This record gives sequence, C-alpha cells and structure tokens, in this order.
Amino acid sequence: MTSPAARAESPFDEGFLRRLEQLELASRRLTAGRMKGERRSTKRGQSVEFADYRNYAAGDDLRQLDWNVYARLERLFVKLFVEEEDVTVHLLVDASRSMDYGEPSKLVVARRAAGALAYLGLAHLDRVSVAFLGDGRAMPLQALRGKQRIFEIFRFLDAVPRVRATGLAAAARDYAARLRGLGPLVLLSDLMDPGYEDALRQLAATRCQLSVLHVLAPQELDPALPSDARLVDAESEAGVEVTADDDLLERYRERLAAWQAELTTFCARRGGTYVPLATDVPLADLLFDLLRRRGVVT
Amino acid sequence: VIAPLALLGLLILPIIVAFYMLRLRRRDVPVGSTFLWAQLVRDVEANAPWQRLRFSWLLVVQLLLALLLVIAAARPFVATDAELAANVVLVVDTSASMGAEDDGVPRIEHARRAARGVVDRLPVGGRVTVVAAADSAEVVAAETDDRDAARAAIDGIEATQLPGDMTDAFALASALAARHPDSDVVLVTDANAAQIPGVGVGAPVRVELVGSSDANQAVAALSTRARAGGTELEVFVAVNNPSGADVRRRLELYADGDLVDARELAIPAGQRSEAIVTSVPPAATVVEARLAGSDALAVDDAAFAVVPRSEPVRTLIVGEGNAYLENALALLPRLEVYAVGVQGYAQALADAEDAGTPYGLFVFDRHVPDTPPPAAAIYVGPPDDGEFGTIGEVVDGPAVGRADPAEPLLRYVDLSTVHIGRARTLTPADGVRTVLATPDGLPLVAAGTVGGRDVAVLAFALGDSDLPLQVAFPLLMSNLVDAVAPPAAGYLPPSLALGEPYALRLPASVEAATLVEGDRSTPVSLTAGRGTLPPADSVGVRQLHGGDGTVLGRTAANLFDAAESSVRPGDPARFTELGRQPSAAQAAREPSRTEWWWPLVLLALPLLVAEWLLFHRPSRRAAGRWLRGLRAAMRWPRLGRRAAAPGR
Repeated sequence: MTSPAARAESPFDEGFLRRLEQLELASRRLTAGRMKGERRSTKRGQSVEFADYRNYAAGDDLRQLDWNVYARLERLFVKLFVEEEDVTVHLLVDASRSMDYGEPSKLVVARRAAGALAYLGLAHLDRVSVAFLGDGRAMPLQALRGKQRIFEIFRFLDAVPRVRATGLAAAARDYAARLRGLGPLVLLSDLMDPGYEDALRQLAATRCQLSVLHVLAPQELDPALPSDARLVDAESEAGVEVTADDDLLERYRERLAAWQAELTTFCARRGGTYVPLATDVPLADLLFDLLRRRGVVT
Repeated sequence: VIAPLALLGLLILPIIVAFYMLRLRRRDVPVGSTFLWAQLVRDVEANAPWQRLRFSWLLVVQLLLALLLVIAAARPFVATDAELAANVVLVVDTSASMGAEDDGVPRIEHARRAARGVVDRLPVGGRVTVVAAADSAEVVAAETDDRDAARAAIDGIEATQLPGDMTDAFALASALAARHPDSDVVLVTDANAAQIPGVGVGAPVRVELVGSSDANQAVAALSTRARAGGTELEVFVAVNNPSGADVRRRLELYADGDLVDARELAIPAGQRSEAIVTSVPPAATVVEARLAGSDALAVDDAAFAVVPRSEPVRTLIVGEGNAYLENALALLPRLEVYAVGVQGYAQALADAEDAGTPYGLFVFDRHVPDTPPPAAAIYVGPPDDGEFGTIGEVVDGPAVGRADPAEPLLRYVDLSTVHIGRARTLTPADGVRTVLATPDGLPLVAAGTVGGRDVAVLAFALGDSDLPLQVAFPLLMSNLVDAVAPPAAGYLPPSLALGEPYALRLPASVEAATLVEGDRSTPVSLTAGRGTLPPADSVGVRQLHGGDGTVLGRTAANLFDAAESSVRPGDPARFTELGRQPSAAQAAREPSRTEWWWPLVLLALPLLVAEWLLFHRPSRRAAGRWLRGLRAAMRWPRLGRRAAAPGR
C-alpha cells in the first residue's frame, strides 16, 4: 500500500495509509451486508431490472406493457424498471488559497478526507471522480473505478494546482456542466468565498446527493487575536483592522454560528447534508462518526 | 474653578480620541480569509458615528481618567453661600460647662471641631481672630489669615473650671469687629452662661451651639458652722439636679481627706436636695463634699469648705449700757461679749492683761478713751476726737446718702429707711475712709486702719436714730466686726469665687508667702504685707504659707454656679440678638469656596487600575483558568458535583 512517491510532504504518508487500511477493515465489518440492497451496481450484468407493475394509463409507452400479464388477466399493466444506476462518487476539493491555513492546513485535511472517501468509494466498487476547484474552474481527474486505482487518486490529490483565486461559484458551475454520472457529491471547502451560495446551488442542481464538508481551522472557530490586529486575507491580501475585544470575538462566534446554521438549512432544503469539520478532528472520527451520523456514508 | 487655564488640558481628550482613530500600528495577522471578519466590521462601521472610531471601554476609561485629572487640576470649588464675613471674630466658650461630656466626648472637643469648621468656611482671604472666653477673654490667635495657625490655636483651647461670663469677650469682639466693616462674630458655646453681656456688638453674632447632654448634678452649696461653743461642727450641703431626670446620687463627706459621712440623696428633676451633717469632727480644717459616680460635668461634683477656727474673739463694750448694741453683738457667734462702764475700762484692761486673755475687739459707746485701745475698735457716736479723726459740731436730721453697692461694709445692709435725728460732723483721720455719707458728703460711717489697728466709727449715737430698730442694724454691726476683726480663718477668707483675686493684708512682719494648691506652689509677691492673691482657676483648697512654713490661711474655691452646672445647652438667641443685623452689603458678600478636587483624584486611582486591567485584558478563558487555578489552590469544595457523584 505504501508508495514511496507519496511520502514527502504528502498528506498520504505511511501513517495515513495504515490508518486508511484499518478504516477499510473497520468499514467492511460495519457495513457488510448492507451494501447489496442499497446501492445497485452494474456488475450484476443487467442494465435494466424489473421493479414493479402499475396500471396502464393513456400515454404510457406501449413498449413497456407486459403482454404476458395481459394474456393471463386481460388487463393492461405497465412494467416498471429500476433506473440504471451507475453510481459515481464526486469529491470536490476547494484548492483556493484560503484553504492553505491552519496547522495542519485545511487543504491537507480536505485532501486527506477526500482521499479516504475516495478509498472507501473505490472499495465499494463505485466510480470515483475527484476534482480541485480553483481559479474559477474545475480541475477533475477522470472518474476511476477499482480499488487499485486509489494511488492515481492520491497522486492527483498530491499535486495541488496553484490557484490565484477560488471563484468557487464559477468552478462549481464548470464542474456541474461536465458532470457525468450521478451519485454522492462531496464538496470539501471552507466556503470562504462570496459566491459560496451560488456554488452550492449549482452543485445541488446536478441532482447528485450533495454533502458539504465545511473545513475550518480551530483558529477560525475560536480565534485568539492580539487586541489590535490587521487581519490579512491569504487570498486577496486585503487587510481588515479589528480591535479584538471580548465583544468583537463574541460577535464573531455568533456570526460564525449563524452562518453554519444558515448553511445547514440551505443544504437541508436541497436534500443535502452539511457537516462542519474542524481540522483537528481525527480522520477516523470524521469517517465513522461525523459522516455516518449525518448520513453521508453508510 | 480656581485655575481655569488647566482646562486647556481638556484638549487632551480629542487627542486621545484621535489616537484611537489614527491607531494604525496594528499587528498583521494572516488569516485564511477575512470573509467573516469583513462582514463583522462592516456591521460596526455602519453603526458608528465616526468611520473608524469604535467603541472601546479602554477609550472610555482613558477619557474619563483624563477628564478627572484635568478637572482636578483646574481646582474646582463649591461656592458656598456668603456665610462668613472677611473678618471673623471667633469666640470659643471655655467656661466650666464646656468641660462636660456629650456622648463620651468632651464638649470642648465638639467646640473645637465647630471652630475648625468655621475656619474652613472662611471666605478666600478671610481673617480670623480666635478668642477663648471663660470669665474673661483671651486672644489665642490675633487676626490671622493663616488657617493652619488658627486651627493650631483652636486645638490648644481647653475648657476651664471658671464660670462663664461673656461680657469681656463681647467687649473685645466688638472692638475687633469695629476695625473692619465686614465683620462677623461667631460664638462657639453651649449658651448656658448666667452672665449675658450687657453690651451689644456692632457686627452680626452667629452662634455655633454645641452640647447635648444635660445629665449632671452638682454640689451647689457647702458651708460649715461651729455649734455649742465650737464643740460641734455642722455642715450644710446642697446638691442640685438641673437635669431632666430624677436621680439618686451618693454624697460623701470627707474631713481632711477622711470619709466621715456618706448618704444617698434622691433628687427630683430640676430640684435641689439639702442635708445637714453633724457627724464631722469639729477639729477638721477642710471639709470636702463629693458626689460619687460620674455625670456629664466632673468639676462640680466636689466642693470644699474651710472650717473657720472656732477661737472666739473677746469683745469689750465700753459705755453706759446699750441693750441694742449688746444684743446685736451677742448675736454674732464668734464674739464673746463683755461689757464694762467707762470707769471700769482701765481695770478691765489690766485684768485681761493679767489673765493672759486680751480682748480682741473694743466697742466704745459714746465714749473715747484717753489712749487708743490695744486692739481693733468700733466707736459709736464718739463725743470727742480720737484716733479715728476729729469730731465737730452737731448736725440735725442729716439725710442718708446713696450707698455704694460695691462697699463690702454695707453688704446686705439696706439704709434707705433709716432716719438719723442728730449726728456730729466727722473728719476721718489718715487711713480712715468714708463708708457712708450724707448727700452733702458728710461722713456718717467710716472705717480704716490707724496705727496698724483696724477701726470703724459711726458719727451718730444709736439713740439718736432709728437704726437699732431696723433689720439693717445687726447686719451692719456684723460687717463692721468682720472688717475690723476679720474671721479667724487666718488671713484668707474661707471661700473665694473661682477667678476672683483677693487683696492680701498680712502683718508687715511677713516678708514672703507661697500659695500652695495641691502639688502646685506659687510665690506671692508682698510689699509691706500687702499683695494680691492670684485668682483660683480650679476647684479646691489653697493654702497660704509664710516664709517659715507656717500656714497663714486657707481658702476654698468652688464652682457654685447653677448656670454652669446646668449643662443643657441654652438658647443661642440670647447671644445672637446682641449682634447687629447684617447689612445689605454683607448679605451680598462674595461666596466662600470649598475645593473638591481631591475626590476626583481619589476616583482617578481606581480608574487607573481599571485602565491597566482593560489594557492587558485577560481573556475570559484566561480569567476562567485563573479562577479555576485559584479555586484549586484554595481547595474550594465543589459541592454540586461531589454531592451528585455517589448517586451515579
């Protein structure tokens, strides 16, 4: 499992891979038996599968009448088939510079989470599509399938493209336009972009199962600042002067909580899931606790 | 505001605000995104009147601090209404009642406090003269604008044991106030002095009334009398209760320091209780009456009496027999009266000489001996010249002139209804003064010292007037006898009022004398036996010692002053109405100033601490940590959790 290339400065170092392996085993133990009924794959050899009958109504496709039943019962029934389900797991990592903050940086945590999710997806025989969002466009890796392809994904996640600005909305629109195959869509971002709502709207419109992993550093959740500070934006390098008294910090925390509540509602309204993710949360907790509780993974 | 220039310091306030607005030296803190912060700050900026000024407690505290300091530096004052004039004569009552205690604090201390208050309220540049007044006035601080000096002088004022008399003080205050058109007389007193000055003051008089207690009892009278020829001593004591409550007090009598009698006296409020004690040994020289226990005023709880020596004065009446005269003299307890005819005079003298019992007093009725008698003498209607002066023609029906009220020989003697049918003109000898005269100045009664002996003379015979039929007669005779043959308590009267000087008349042979009072002894300067006994300033017995240590006399000084013993504060209007109403100019005088910068400075100190704390601003979490650490260090039990634990 260990790749020498993935070692240096890579979020996917040996320790990560070992943990991932344990996770996979644990994941199997936990999810065995559930997989079959819930996510149908094309491996069964059928592209269409009978699901149910219903009464014929005028305008229904005549090709789908079950003539055998008509012969026996002299009544018209339409055969319903399970739609073809070629599940693709979409993992979108925000590569904007604001993600490069914190220790470990939000980007590292997001990449690790994406890698782990990709690994789980591949292990569940899903197609996995990984993409970086940045500079107003999506930079995807072609969808892969098969557990052995995981290293391609790691390599892709290791090579973070240099981006100047996020342009999250434009990037999401770009990805949505090129999207192939439905399935869970996980956005890993700090959403610190004025266009975050637009981006979420774009992604939700793809009819994919939208999950937002909102990655925030502990310093962002509960900032400790010198009393008088000029906050320099990592992206725009614009400064904001603050006098960080208790009052301001209190209002910051309130604002943050309000924002998170807003995002939760926004996602819920679109059938999505919002998961706040602090970068100091261990990966195992993320996968088996946070995401399961929210129903992102099952 | 006294220093308005300091208000320029207010310019510091906008400067502080400007610093807050211009504070650009902020530490750059890289953050992932200012996305949220920018929203927050926009919120603030939208509400703030200044674009960059944000509310900060630190700013508020600093502004307050600067404001306080600037105001304090400007020395603000409260203009109190024109209360006192620029020239104040401050009279502090130091009479005996000021030694009373009100709630455990001497009344004089209350008075000093009030007096210091007056000094504090002086207008700017005001001058004050501090006068301490008991029975006379003493200037302790003369017209000074140095308030500290005035306060020091006030602190040195102590209560005396003297009865109060404001006459002196008011005369002095009046003179001092007259020097300055804008003057006030402020009297700090309990206003219970008996003597209200008869003079007005040419300035408004204000009274700072002190005192509250009235719980005082006093020994109001103490006198002794020999009875049964000097074999018994009768002591008369009166105890006054001027307070508003019925009391029981224990009265103790001491004879020469030994307790000889004690009794409980029940004294109704405002009443007086009297006792006659006969158990005092007749040999006692000094009797002291003392009220046991304590009350508001201690000075009047003890009184002293000097027992007159009971040696009788052998008196010889020389004449044809005069029942009036003999009866009047026989009434005087200290005289042992003998009578003899003119012919038997020489024989009687010789007999007394032989027996070693010389006469101490001779009374010649219508007779003048050839040679002056060997002792003091009283001549009644002398027909011839004698040592007392020369006798002239007969005057018919002389009227009795006005008696000098200060004349001790005429004390208690009312001669206004006396008629004299006939008298002889009298020309007093040297050393003999006229005591009573006709309106024309013709002497009727004279007394004096001739040849070292005291003599008195009546220029008319008793049978030529209705004097013997009047009450005045025995009193006059008693006074004359006292004058020529002084009471035998030595050379001092048995009792002298506090503050009263006494003219000493000692035998010329006495060259030096010392006044001993307790442990204190004061030399008395004498010139040919004459001198002045300094007035007593405290209750007690004083002894006059001769140069060889012999006791020349004793005298007691007591505060028998009902007004002083009644320590209840009196009516201040008695004094204020002696003053003049303030004039319009005085009413419109410049207000006085009380500075109040120091509370501002006191307020600034905690603000400074608050500013420091705010600046270093321990975060809430740090404060919580600190508190937890403190709690752990002090092992405060966490009751809630511990109580819940066993249930789980």
